[in-house]
Amino acid sequence: MNEKRKLCCPVLARGVRYRWDDLRQQHQLLFPEGMLILNDTAAAIVKLCDGRSLKNLEDELSQSFPHNPIQTDLLELLDRLAGRGLIDDANNAS
Amino acid sequence: MPTTPPRPFALLAELTYRCPLKCPYCSNPLQLARYKKELDAETWQRVLTEAAALGVVQVHFSGGEPLVRRDLATLVATARQLELYSNLSTGATLADGPRLDELKSAGLDSLQISLLDINARSNDWLAGTPSFEKKRLAVELARERDFPITLNVVLHRHNLDHLETIITLATDWKVDKLELAHVQYTGWAFRNRAALLPHRSQVEHAAKVVATAREELGGQLEILHVLPDYFQEFPKACMQGWGRVFLTVAPDGAVLPCQTAREITGLEFPNVQNESLNEIWFSDPVFQRFRGTDWLPEPCQSCDRREIDFGGCRCQAFLVTGDAAATDPVCKLSPRHELIETAMAQAGHEPTPLEYRVFGTAPETTSGGR
Repeated sequence: MNEKRKLCCPVLARGVRYRWDDLRQQHQLLFPEGMLILNDTAAAIVKLCDGRSLKNLEDELSQSFPHNPIQTDLLELLDRLAGRGLIDDANNAS
Repeated sequence: MPTTPPRPFALLAELTYRCPLKCPYCSNPLQLARYKKELDAETWQRVLTEAAALGVVQVHFSGGEPLVRRDLATLVATARQLELYSNLSTGATLADGPRLDELKSAGLDSLQISLLDINARSNDWLAGTPSFEKKRLAVELARERDFPITLNVVLHRHNLDHLETIITLATDWKVDKLELAHVQYTGWAFRNRAALLPHRSQVEHAAKVVATAREELGGQLEILHVLPDYFQEFPKACMQGWGRVFLTVAPDGAVLPCQTAREITGLEFPNVQNESLNEIWFSDPVFQRFRGTDWLPEPCQSCDRREIDFGGCRCQAFLVTGDAAATDPVCKLSPRHELIETAMAQAGHEPTPLEYRVFGTAPETTSGGR
């Protein structure tokens, strides 16, 4: 469970959905029987988890946040979400 | 003094109390026959709309068996339009291919399928009806349709020793998640407590089995293990606090802070047919009754854990001590804790028959006859 996963093409796992909660002004990640509240950075990352390559995802992010390198945030977040089964690798998604 | 309560995140939509299974630990009320009238689809659609406006983001369609409602897919579609995340909790004996297709295109997000034990003999004995094969088939059909599946097994004296095999079965059936929830002793389960309460050694063994399996299986199968509160020192944060995160709408439209709350006599529950969910959540006296910590008795009031467990489960306090405003008696600090210890000491000493859930006969009238 603890080893770092190397994701090639992160994609939201089956049954996981991103949602903007207008009432609470909040980013949410919904999944069976649970949810996470995301900050802006995490939400930006999650929204790009559509099966594109990690490299492409990084490029896209550095364009959105040019003055705020979030490379470490990115890998850490992906690792945490993968550990909870919330993102898969599009290359070997079941 | 009155602060605005937080908005709820989850709605349990109990569409019906009807069910083909007769599980002796069902969380539905004992007097099922009293609540035969069910809300129609149109009213449920209004309830879903009001729930979304109130802040609900997840809806759990449940029952009874929600698949007995032919209009289920319509309600799922409404939930989807409202951007609600929808989950179906089902016994799955009615989940055939066409039904699952219909739910898939309506936008159902996830499925939670109950299983009672590891084989037909034991599962069907516990369910009071043949159902194992149908469940196995339903899991297969749901998987083919790419639903995320949680297999839910309620644990008690009669299946706890099968836990290794339960986990193997969940892996073989390729479900995403296995939820192992010990019986919560309210509703029918409270009635069958002497027959269902496990021995402490069974509970301890189970914890080891789960720990080993988690290590061996890694990410292959997520195992959620809800520990039995009778065997803990402190109560659980029931519903994460009364009227705080969850609300239940019962088949007849009654709105409950928790699905078993109607066991507490003396509370008059509001109904969606008379008021909006918004009014009920923010102003109804039942929702205010045990909200927050102001109402807490001692020793809870001066306890460091009061914001952690909010005094525990109100239904349990009522069923065991007769007082819904008492400290949950499972807490080792409760002045009535001996009631739990006595129940545990007495459980399983002599073989106790299971009393199956029935629809129609009020069990009070039959309990003396055994």
